[in-house]
Amino acid sequence: MTRSTINVKVVAAESLYKRDVFRQPDPFAVITIDGAQTKTTKTAKKTLNPYWNEKFDVTASEDSILIIQVFDQKKFKKKDQGFLGVVNVRVGDVIDLSLPSSEETITRDLKKSNENLAVTGKIIIVISHSSSASTRNGTSSFGNGSSNSAAATARLSSSSTGVVGGSSAPPPGINSSSTGGASSSGNSQRQYSSFEDQYGRLPTGWERRTDNFGRTYFVDHNSRTTTWQRPTLDQTELQRDQQRELTTEAERRQHRERTLPGDTPLSPTLGAQGSSTSVTSGSVTVNALGPNQPVSPAAAVSMAASGATTSGLGELPSGWEQRFTNEDRPYFVDHNTRTTTWVDPRRQQYIRTYGPNTTIQQQPVSQLGPLPSGWEMRLTNTARVYFVDHNTKTTTWDDPRLPSSLDQNVPQYKRDFRRKLVYFRSQPALRILPGQCHIKVRRDHIFEDSYQEIMRQSPEDLKKRLMIKFEGEEGLDYGGVSREFFFLLSHDMFNPFYCLFEYSTLDIYTLQINPNSGINPEHLNYFKFIGRVVGLCVFHRRFLDAFFVGALYKMMVRKKVVLQDMEGVDAEFYRSLKWMLDNDISEAFMGTTFTVEDDKFGEIVEIELKPGGKDIEVTEQNKLEYVELITEWKIHKRVEEQFNAFIDGFNELIPEALVKVFDARELELLIGGLATIDVDDWKKHTDYRGYSESDQVIQWFWQCLREWDLEQKARLLQFTTGTSRIPVNGFKDLQGSDGPRRFTIEKAGEPEQLPKSHTCFNRVDLPPYTSYESLKQKLTMAVEETVGFGQE
Amino acid sequence: MSLKRINKELADLGRDPPSSCSAGPVGDDLYHWQASIMGPPDSPYAGGVFFLSIHFPTDYPFKPPKIAFTTKIYHPNINGNGNICLDILKDQWSPALTISKVLLSICSLLTDANPDDPLVPEIAHIYKLDRPKYEAIAKEWTKKYAV
Repeated sequence: MTRSTINVKVVAAESLYKRDVFRQPDPFAVITIDGAQTKTTKTAKKTLNPYWNEKFDVTASEDSILIIQVFDQKKFKKKDQGFLGVVNVRVGDVIDLSLPSSEETITRDLKKSNENLAVTGKIIIVISHSSSASTRNGTSSFGNGSSNSAAATARLSSSSTGVVGGSSAPPPGINSSSTGGASSSGNSQRQYSSFEDQYGRLPTGWERRTDNFGRTYFVDHNSRTTTWQRPTLDQTELQRDQQRELTTEAERRQHRERTLPGDTPLSPTLGAQGSSTSVTSGSVTVNALGPNQPVSPAAAVSMAASGATTSGLGELPSGWEQRFTNEDRPYFVDHNTRTTTWVDPRRQQYIRTYGPNTTIQQQPVSQLGPLPSGWEMRLTNTARVYFVDHNTKTTTWDDPRLPSSLDQNVPQYKRDFRRKLVYFRSQPALRILPGQCHIKVRRDHIFEDSYQEIMRQSPEDLKKRLMIKFEGEEGLDYGGVSREFFFLLSHDMFNPFYCLFEYSTLDIYTLQINPNSGINPEHLNYFKFIGRVVGLCVFHRRFLDAFFVGALYKMMVRKKVVLQDMEGVDAEFYRSLKWMLDNDISEAFMGTTFTVEDDKFGEIVEIELKPGGKDIEVTEQNKLEYVELITEWKIHKRVEEQFNAFIDGFNELIPEALVKVFDARELELLIGGLATIDVDDWKKHTDYRGYSESDQVIQWFWQCLREWDLEQKARLLQFTTGTSRIPVNGFKDLQGSDGPRRFTIEKAGEPEQLPKSHTCFNRVDLPPYTSYESLKQKLTMAVEETVGFGQE
Repeated sequence: MSLKRINKELADLGRDPPSSCSAGPVGDDLYHWQASIMGPPDSPYAGGVFFLSIHFPTDYPFKPPKIAFTTKIYHPNINGNGNICLDILKDQWSPALTISKVLLSICSLLTDANPDDPLVPEIAHIYKLDRPKYEAIAKEWTKKYAV
């Protein structure tokens, strides 16, 4: 069948259906030929009679079916996609392709889709062709075979489908022609529509897409979910539903079991830990919370570690009264000043500072204001206050808010996640405010309903006791409902379907910001919303079922991203940057300047990596700076707008200064929680290179792992695989950047060196250590220190 | 970065063209090239001319180019979509490689297939067990699609 280039001009539509009472739609049209070759008009603003007058070149035969759909851009995310009508036209019915040229204007009534939403109005289009533009496909020689305009069209269409590297995933819901791999060179013989591939047609409602990294995934428009697995026709819709339900159930179970150190009230080690941090913990807790309040050990630790020193609790001062909120939380009324406070006046907190003449000065904590960003206050076992600076990982006796004195015998810095958590949660900014925060959502519209509910409330409202309700379901939120809420919402809002986040190349489940999220003009509002949800979740001590690339957590704790972080974001790019550092670049990078090219929906723009960058050549001398700048750009600058919106939303609930107490890996655990780690399962699905399972070092390795607590195990996972997430079905399903990759221990390095990791391949290079102590010490150091480079 | 490098490679190709293959942009778009390879004389592809499409990513040469055959070819490492299984186009890519070097590697892949890492297991199977049959089919396809 000969295909010709035809020109479709979408002129206008009139009398579109008004679906909202208060506002008019922002209509745009999507043109598809034979389920492929998708083109989109610009969006007309607030009108029922949009005028577009845009022309598109497409290739078609007389049997080609031209489909034009009209959508409301504002509602494009919603289930009905803001659908405003469709027309189907067989090209041969309008123009005769055998003539040298022709042009027809047609006006058609817009029709309903299967969803059966009301549709009104007409659309006007002009279809034309002239045979001089006809192209022949196949193996015509290059240079003269295709006209320039045809090449330009091919470029346009291929860039909008993500084939040319780094360009966007298709906009949600558009039946875009995302052809796999590099086969979209205008060769129709190899071009599969997005509803089929080399194995045949996809089931109804399924679409094939390619992501920014050229990986194929499948979109199920029936359930609005995505999957890496190709759906097969021999499964019925029902079976697929059941399959999906099973997976979700397993994920839900895993999500429910996640914890943080100190959260399990039955943990036997906790009590001991708590009392060792303070000599006075026992008495403080009982009295401070009132006799009828059950005291969790976590709360006990929190009291102790927040630096409270008691002066014996007796009668309240005169004029004071203790009252209880609806949630049974005690507060104090000072009738003298007619003020209320959460702070028990008998428990005024003092800080002892050692003055120059070794006199002890006491000062009420409340007068000093909060600690600087990234600082924490702790007690020694003799109840002496000292201060931890997590920014520099140092400790001091000196309160950073006061003039300094000499530091002597101050305890050594030791990263302690449990303590940080206790400190973090004891901070006034993280206290639940009186009142309730009601969020009512429909289960099957959780994303848009949550967006409305969470964005209409102020950050202060969101800090009140969370009361989640699923519409049509009974059940009060005592924790279970909100847990389910965050579980479902995290699955929906991070779904690459919405083009806000995408899966990284590290594996197929860690998430990163989609640099092309701007396809949705409202994306920044959504990022702010997602930031708020993450903050809300941390604030109310729930977990998200979502894991980001390490670099994103690092950005959240405001640490600079380095080359090593690139490995998790884009492994291929990382290898090339390393190559630059390790080799003479003068040949391969001759003429390269401090610029980078970015693909903005098909348009290539040049961006300077630093002021005047396009006049500065990259040389052997300055290549390190170039690598740093391009890393920073690729990971951070490129998604800066999105990240800023996200972190603004997050910081509305969790102040930046408090987040910075944690390192990036701890933040991952704070947001996602700690899953139980089955060391037997881990060991069972481990491969060895240069070692065998019976080797002494390997036995030590597993022994060490078993001795570690859950958090340290999780840190080893983060160090070796880039994430603490474990696949739902256990270690056998561990994924690397190139598909399934089992955990691997390789014999590499000298006994005096630290272990090294390759997160793309879930591999750790373990030197043949000569003693158990040496292995444990080196492994601990590697896991504790987050920087990989220059560590030896 | 990428445009300068692509222009340089284009100039180099013009100055010092490799034997048995050629490559250049399809139209105005420097990121989209077409290439041709002559079937190596000591292979069943002899006499055929094979076309390939080349797409440069915007972050070339940090990322490898995407190369695929547009002419049908019967080969254990090249599938029906024209996709090529070649390590230097994947994890063994290095910025030091050029289109010219990659095309030469593809040429040698035509002479020496790698049936132990096949993209099309059926062809690899025939290649290993019944070499004359493989050569006959490959010749036939060459005649049918590439001459």
